[in-house]
Amino acid sequence: MRSNGKPPSLAASLDEKQVRLSRTRTWGGLETQASYGPNDANERDYKRDLGDPGEFPYTRGAYPQMYRSRMWTLRNIVGYGAPEDTRDGIEKTLAAGGTGVNVVVDTLTQQALDPDHPAFGAEAGLEGCSLPTARDIDRLLDGVDLTKVDVAWHWTIMAYQMVAAVAVKRGTPLDKLQGSHMPDHLQETMCGWGTDLLPAQLSQRATVDCVEYCVRNSPRWTLGLPQGYDLREAGLSPVGEIAIGMAVVKGVLRDLEKRGLDIDQVAPSIAWVSTADVDFFEEIAKFRALRRMWARTMRDGFGAQDPRSMRLRIACHTSGRSLVYGQPLNNLSRVAVQSLAALLGGVQSVEACTYDEPICVPTQEARELATRTQQILANEIGAARTADPLGGSYYVEALTDKVEAEAAKLMAEIEEIGLLAAIDAGRIAQLMDDYNLSFRREMDSGERIVIGANAFAPPEEPPPRRFTFDPAATQAHVRRFKELKAGRDGDLVKRKVRDVYATAKAGNNCSQAAIDAFVADATLGEVWGAFRMAMGRPYDGYRVIEAPFDFEAVSV
Amino acid sequence: MRVAEAEVKQLAESAIAQDARAGARLITLIESGASDLYPALSTLYAAGGHARIVGVTGPPGAGKSTLVDQLIAYYRAANLRVAVLAVDPSSPKSGGAVLGDRFRMSQHYSDAGVFIRSMANRGALGGLARSTPDALVVLDAMGWDIVLLETVGVGQSEIDIMRHAGAVLVLQTSHSGDALQSVKAGLLEIADIFVVNRASEPDAQRTVRALREMVHVDAERRGEAAWPVSVCETEALTGEGIAALAASIERRFTYLTDNPKARAQLRHMQVRVHMEAIAAGIVAARLTDRGGAGAPGSDVVADVAARRRDLYATARALVGGDD
Amino acid sequence: MGKARIIRCVLGMLGTDVHTKGIRTLAQLLRDEGVEVVYLGEHNTVPGMASAVIQEDADIVGLSFSTAAYLHYVRAFRDELISRGAGDVPVMVGGMIHPDDRAPLAEMGIEGIFGPGSTVPEIMAFMSRAADAYRNAGAVNS
Repeated sequence: MRSNGKPPSLAASLDEKQVRLSRTRTWGGLETQASYGPNDANERDYKRDLGDPGEFPYTRGAYPQMYRSRMWTLRNIVGYGAPEDTRDGIEKTLAAGGTGVNVVVDTLTQQALDPDHPAFGAEAGLEGCSLPTARDIDRLLDGVDLTKVDVAWHWTIMAYQMVAAVAVKRGTPLDKLQGSHMPDHLQETMCGWGTDLLPAQLSQRATVDCVEYCVRNSPRWTLGLPQGYDLREAGLSPVGEIAIGMAVVKGVLRDLEKRGLDIDQVAPSIAWVSTADVDFFEEIAKFRALRRMWARTMRDGFGAQDPRSMRLRIACHTSGRSLVYGQPLNNLSRVAVQSLAALLGGVQSVEACTYDEPICVPTQEARELATRTQQILANEIGAARTADPLGGSYYVEALTDKVEAEAAKLMAEIEEIGLLAAIDAGRIAQLMDDYNLSFRREMDSGERIVIGANAFAPPEEPPPRRFTFDPAATQAHVRRFKELKAGRDGDLVKRKVRDVYATAKAGNNCSQAAIDAFVADATLGEVWGAFRMAMGRPYDGYRVIEAPFDFEAVSV
Repeated sequence: MRVAEAEVKQLAESAIAQDARAGARLITLIESGASDLYPALSTLYAAGGHARIVGVTGPPGAGKSTLVDQLIAYYRAANLRVAVLAVDPSSPKSGGAVLGDRFRMSQHYSDAGVFIRSMANRGALGGLARSTPDALVVLDAMGWDIVLLETVGVGQSEIDIMRHAGAVLVLQTSHSGDALQSVKAGLLEIADIFVVNRASEPDAQRTVRALREMVHVDAERRGEAAWPVSVCETEALTGEGIAALAASIERRFTYLTDNPKARAQLRHMQVRVHMEAIAAGIVAARLTDRGGAGAPGSDVVADVAARRRDLYATARALVGGDD
Repeated sequence: MGKARIIRCVLGMLGTDVHTKGIRTLAQLLRDEGVEVVYLGEHNTVPGMASAVIQEDADIVGLSFSTAAYLHYVRAFRDELISRGAGDVPVMVGGMIHPDDRAPLAEMGIEGIFGPGSTVPEIMAFMSRAADAYRNAGAVNS
């Protein structure tokens, strides 16, 4: 605290310097006790509720040997500018010791808008890689064997179909295709896209179509579902992540059952995309509670027989919203602790945020430090040695129970209304608004302390360095895109895009038609626009551009 | 707020010439309770009388804004110019408001043939704001063919809307079925057209049946000459059922044209309510002028409270009874 | 003498940015400060947002950004307002604004810049001042 006038006495200063506990609730809002003991164990039964690592209900981990049998994948997120720019970033990341690559695409690609969009074209390549055609993915992964390298796509709409089109063009069989993406469209609806750009019904259909096709054709492809990470970033607590995430998955699985897919054909392909926020114990409890709830839901709710369906794999990206702009190097501490929580919670992959994430697209230096953080955790501190090292802790077990119970309660409330109806009625948005508003109020009142934001805020700092890159490659990329559109076989594209429209309109899965269209050089915007129109929505969610041709016309 | 008379006159003329910014500014002045607006309002009133005012009400979450969004699209396709006045509640604590209706009509933001204005009710009861009637005069004078008036969904006090609209749509959600019985009398008094939105949802058909039955029974009671209340089914997200709803609205206005008696009854009631509101506003302003803190010597309210003056004589004097 | 005039603020985001958390929370906080917030949410186009400013007769406009596209969009938005005769409406910008961009934003006529760590009292103080100046100028000039 600063005060004007004469300096306070040393005694007063010392008194003020004490760190006091400002809050006894978890970051997500669960009340905690001063200590926990055997009496807090309720009716817990080791075999039934915990089990050894690798044993049902997998509370203590998905695999018996955990990181002894397989180290988590140290991932880094890369993506900016043209495919050539991102390719350069990937090479640097792998050279620095990362073991997996996550490609993030720009906001246009995420929303299936082409870079020649008249209203938003200026955003091409700014926040991720611009990938509007299969040819661009081919450029990005030139020489990379799609059956061997584990590329994770931070991307929902048509991501798999576009990668599959590249595989088709290269003659790679789809059933050998490896990699992952995040087909959870409903999450996008909930996290800022809104019911206009992505109506809940349309999202559900797109997800179910994509998952069905992947599972039937590319069983080695991993599906990041639900995309719990964005739900958390938008304002759900750990309890909310489990509740809403489970509701999403259950809805998709029920629809797939109707299409004749058995749970054991689907569930093994799924990995839960999660986060680790700053509340160390709450996040560990969440990962454990999540695995337990998943296992029981799959076995008892869906009749799964295959252990691979019941043991949940979790991909964790540390929390971006927890990072602070002021004195950004503090974020290295936050990310280290969050990554540790993810490991003690038993996740299968970690993407550590870069410390400069609140400032810009990550700089190369920050990316390297994020990898180093994980390497220190893997090699020095012993976090990987023994599975579920906090299992049996009075506190962690009690918190695990509490997170699970609260999540089950919230999930029941939402499922009572129906997830899609709850989204349409603004219930999920309300949950997020309430969380975010109380978060802010608690910061204003000092109950919640965030170093560098509402306490110990640094005085004037030099402006943080930010990532910059030469936009020349992006500009060339957009020119190339326009040339491709002008020079491709227009009649073929029309025919293929009409097939997408007609297939979807007839209520059938249009994934194969989409792959064929991408092979024929249809653009992401065109294929998604055709699907949207088949679903009774305008071609462009922003209603700026019209369909380039009549989709209803009979193909020749 | 006092505004130069010449300036307001200019704004009124510009608004009549369809200048959006002038119309918007006038509505702000009306909302802020600016005095000296009456000459301008008279000019605007004289220029109006052509707009079809369609009220849209119903409980929160019924999809009012989404339905309005679809109606705008429908009328625009028919080449009509459309204005929307969307009223949302003010926070009773702070007086502020989050006006979120416009957000759901974003597809029309760039269309010069559409004018959308959000309005906080600023503590007024009944689903509208005190300035709503005069704001409608402005929109009418601006020559909008259709004015869609969307109210706060406040349940029982939605009755306000019929005092300003020629056609009142009452939205029901698919889940409203069970709740209908308890409010049926009030709803029938308000609604010209019931709209069951999200008609494809499981419970919706039950709601539709319940409404049709209710309307049918009531029609027998009201007799043949009365407006036959209709029940429309819509899917506001996709636009299904909007054309049928618009046809129903059209029939309502045709009915008013063809039935001078019903039309006069409605119009007289509306004019009476508006005149009372204007008069009440004048009285309130006088009371503020004479009883304001700035004039302690002539604080009539304090005088009456202290029984130095008679309540009735003072009130009559306020409305000019002693002039 | 009435109460202080209620501030009408149009609040929204331009472009494809989906990070609405900040602006949704700000809308509620400003409401609690007595502001009438016309909430336009995410995904606005430049002409659409300018129309809203005019039709809503906003005293001030708040734009929130969490992506790097803000210089482009703020410039386009200011140009649009000017071309439609509403260049005098004050504009404030918030979100992930890098200190290096303050100068170019100021050159575009952006008086209020609220980067990470800005507080509601700071924003309110600016809004009151800017809205008052705008209204008083308007009463004289029109």
